[in-house]
Amino acid sequence: MMPQRSFRSLFRGFLESAEGFPQRPALFVDGESLSYANLRRIVCKIASAIRTLRSDQESFSLVAVLAYRSKTAYAGVLGSLAASKGYVPLNPKFPLERTLQMLALSDCTVLIIGKECLPQLSGLLKAADRPLVIILPEVASLAELPSRNPHHRFLFADQLPSREDFSFEENSTPASFAYLLFTSGSTGIPKGVPISQGNVRSYVNYICQRYNVSEHDRFSQQFDLTFDLSAHDMFVCWERGACLYCVPDNSIMAPAKFIRDHELTMWFSVPSVAGLLSKMRLLSPRCFPSLRFSLFCGEPLPASYARSWQAAAPDSIVENLYGPTEATIAIAHYRWDSQKSFQECSNGLVPIGQIFEGQQFSVTDSHGKSVPLGDAGELCLSGSQVATGYWHNLEKTQQQFVRLPGADDRLWYRTGDLVKQDESGNLHYLGRMDHQVKIRGYRVELQEIEAVLRRACGTDQVVSVPWPVHNGSAEGVVAFVSGIKTLDEARILASCGNLLPDYMVPRKIYLVDSLPLNVNQKIDRGKLSSLLEGVA
Amino acid sequence: MKPVAEQELIQQVIGWVKQNGLNGASHTEISESTNLLESGLLDSFAFVDLVLFIENCTQEKLDLLDVNPEEFTVVKSLCHLALQNGH
Repeated sequence: MMPQRSFRSLFRGFLESAEGFPQRPALFVDGESLSYANLRRIVCKIASAIRTLRSDQESFSLVAVLAYRSKTAYAGVLGSLAASKGYVPLNPKFPLERTLQMLALSDCTVLIIGKECLPQLSGLLKAADRPLVIILPEVASLAELPSRNPHHRFLFADQLPSREDFSFEENSTPASFAYLLFTSGSTGIPKGVPISQGNVRSYVNYICQRYNVSEHDRFSQQFDLTFDLSAHDMFVCWERGACLYCVPDNSIMAPAKFIRDHELTMWFSVPSVAGLLSKMRLLSPRCFPSLRFSLFCGEPLPASYARSWQAAAPDSIVENLYGPTEATIAIAHYRWDSQKSFQECSNGLVPIGQIFEGQQFSVTDSHGKSVPLGDAGELCLSGSQVATGYWHNLEKTQQQFVRLPGADDRLWYRTGDLVKQDESGNLHYLGRMDHQVKIRGYRVELQEIEAVLRRACGTDQVVSVPWPVHNGSAEGVVAFVSGIKTLDEARILASCGNLLPDYMVPRKIYLVDSLPLNVNQKIDRGKLSSLLEGVA
Repeated sequence: MKPVAEQELIQQVIGWVKQNGLNGASHTEISESTNLLESGLLDSFAFVDLVLFIENCTQEKLDLLDVNPEEFTVVKSLCHLALQNGH
């Protein structure tokens, strides 16, 4: 397919900012500030290296990036896009087994590695099921890597082509990959969600206009790249020549000082961060005078958090965003209004508000038919931001991406989120229709944790429960096990830690005589939660 | 209430982390130089609970608004800060 001339790819957005504001800061990371010109230089070298692989590597459309809060992390993302490839973010904080799973599922054979991830690299290379090309933009030649790993090919910093060797060709179309992210899968295997350039372009255009983003803005970058909300930070910021401030790992927990020190203008995080700051008394009135916008997404936003944040950042507009990964970052918004929003909240939670202009929604019953206004139903989404299916998973795609009865031929994504629409048109989140939960904003299928627990415990009688839960959001998960005589908790937890990201590893495992059942003979998760109330 | 000595507070903190920490904290060796976040023994939620525990021990509020993170993520410096705050 020929590229559409009018299509503005994500990299073009960055490139035009780099041409318009070469000396303005594009990125602050690891205590260092990089101008657009300097970041572009690194990006072009990476893109050029990826391009040289065209001739001797089978055709590939995705490049994996294993880097963490470093120059290489961001330059790797941009370099992949500049070479007209989508990126697959990997996370050094995830267990090796999971990273290998994601790598194998994505079919990636080209990896960009940050120097901070060298400790993970040896294990990954040993266990990889295919020959890989490893690009190390910040690592000078390490002779032992190629000699110990003769099946893989390495491109070190001093072997990368010069920046002048690269001239950008717009080969991306709206259907080209922007990124492939993995979310928790109920079968125990992570589920890939491919998001196209067109999906992200729709989002970026809408958000840049809504928030009137300019080159004077300073964006927070708090989310790991494996969390799709990071795509908002990067692409909205670079689209308009603003600067991205990567919050260092040790400030993520208490970013108040970071916001103040760098006079950030755009804040974006999960609501839990506001809750933490509030609990630590770090949301004092007017403590964030520089913020223009404060955005929250990823889990329900309690009204009390919105109110405290608004007081701390009185000159900022506070918005609750909502959106599953499949609908690209966020697709609904609600603007907090100190005067009237309290009346519009239900169960103490801020509404998810209205669907973005140009995107479509329907609240449906179990047959896919629209429910009357005010009734609860499943939220279904359609439009230019919505993906068309899962990565190499036809069965799951057919389950979740459907045509609605009586509607036209368009494809709808069934979110599994239970919502209702009020008379003013605002949508309210009521909960999940399945066993998916949000832990600190991360989407987690409890069945995935249970699959790992079953193997580790050697019994089928396992159940995981989100715990503790505050304001509809879980801080962690605990497990109950039955059917075995003794429990080696340390071994089982270690086994979970080898396969699951830390937010999915149970905090505690309780050995019980039997798992309680409800009247339908299903495991009574509510009863287990109430048992936890007793021990808390 | 009798003021808490730094060493005493360090031991109380280590005990608390062993009991309430993550990733098998009860089976992990924890010393006064352990970085509680980098080691994965605490996440941000558990850290807040630890701060509340320390405040309860010292009967003083911990003010972290303008403190560098590296000053409060290691057991010893966190305890030092907690006791310094109150004096």
